[in-house]
Amino acid sequence: MNRFWLLPISLVPLLGASATIIQALAISLCTALLVGLHQALMAPLRRHLEHSPRLWASTVLAAALATCLHLGLQTWTMPLAKQLGLYPLLLALPCLASEQLPAQPGRYRLLGLGLLGLLAAGLALGICRQLLADGLGLHLAALAPGALILLGLLLGLYNHLRPSNTASRRQGTR
Amino acid sequence: MTARWRSATVLLLVAGLAIVATLAWQRFTAGPIAEASRQWQEQQWLKVLPPGSYDNRPLQTPLALKDAKLSHSHLLAGYRASLAGITSAVLLHSSVQGYGGAIELVIAIDRQGRLVGVRVLEQQESPGLGDQLVDPARHWLDQFIGRTLRDTPEQAWAIKRDQGAFDQLAGATVTSRAVIEAIQDALRYFDQHRPALLGETPP
Repeated sequence: MNRFWLLPISLVPLLGASATIIQALAISLCTALLVGLHQALMAPLRRHLEHSPRLWASTVLAAALATCLHLGLQTWTMPLAKQLGLYPLLLALPCLASEQLPAQPGRYRLLGLGLLGLLAAGLALGICRQLLADGLGLHLAALAPGALILLGLLLGLYNHLRPSNTASRRQGTR
Repeated sequence: MTARWRSATVLLLVAGLAIVATLAWQRFTAGPIAEASRQWQEQQWLKVLPPGSYDNRPLQTPLALKDAKLSHSHLLAGYRASLAGITSAVLLHSSVQGYGGAIELVIAIDRQGRLVGVRVLEQQESPGLGDQLVDPARHWLDQFIGRTLRDTPEQAWAIKRDQGAFDQLAGATVTSRAVIEAIQDALRYFDQHRPALLGETPP
């Protein structure tokens, strides 16, 4: 597994724990919180660590934060924690993925945009899944594979509607 | 070389602090989590009883069950719900082999041997087929409510395919059969051990 796998794997918590709007909102907010905390803790450490120890430190911190989040959810919101299952623990993966962003000037703006996008995608996914499963009785939407298909459709729709500043025939040619 | 040593020291420090903080947090939350999980479990259990039909805390008074191995299922525990000091229902925690593993049910039976509620606590049935059992939009388990062994004869406790009286879950015959057998077992057990379960001495 190399670092390019980290991004797709980071989708797992979002796909698994977005069957209702509440769940989707909770898991998206937890992602934003955890990635933010992880970045805040890593920021002062980066100067003192070389490349490989930095990855280790990032991994240890992500694991510790995810564990604390999991325990905290169980302490204060037991019913929600039962619904989310083990997915909050997997939120260590987006933390690791965000650590791979290159250190360039716009780093935190990019990260913030990414997290906002994730929040929007999570909300859209939660709303669609709940509507389809409860409103229309489409059982597939309540299951994780249905979530993957829906996310694909939603992203396709977004790409279709997004105002693009290049002509579509130029896309991918650079 | 010094940069490397400094890196290693910082890494060790970070790892140590992270582990200590996690352990401290776990120690700090262990008590509240146990309490919350107990409350949550109690809520799940008591959803099986109609609200207002009991005023005690049934899970605080477990019953000693004799011969808990039944013909298709086995009973794990029994509890008594009472209203104004009189037993209003008995809760039986039953476990039966389903398609994907054990299905754990809580079955509530009133004084007359009538089923007042049944809920699934644990199941590992196939997603989309057997797990319709816990789908809140399907009320498959509701068809058993109000049934007794007297109004439904022995051989009618089966799905329609087996010449019984009940609908089955589409695509989940094994699951449906298992649940029906578990409910029938529990009702039969109640009828056989009625005085002991209700806490009355036989006249």
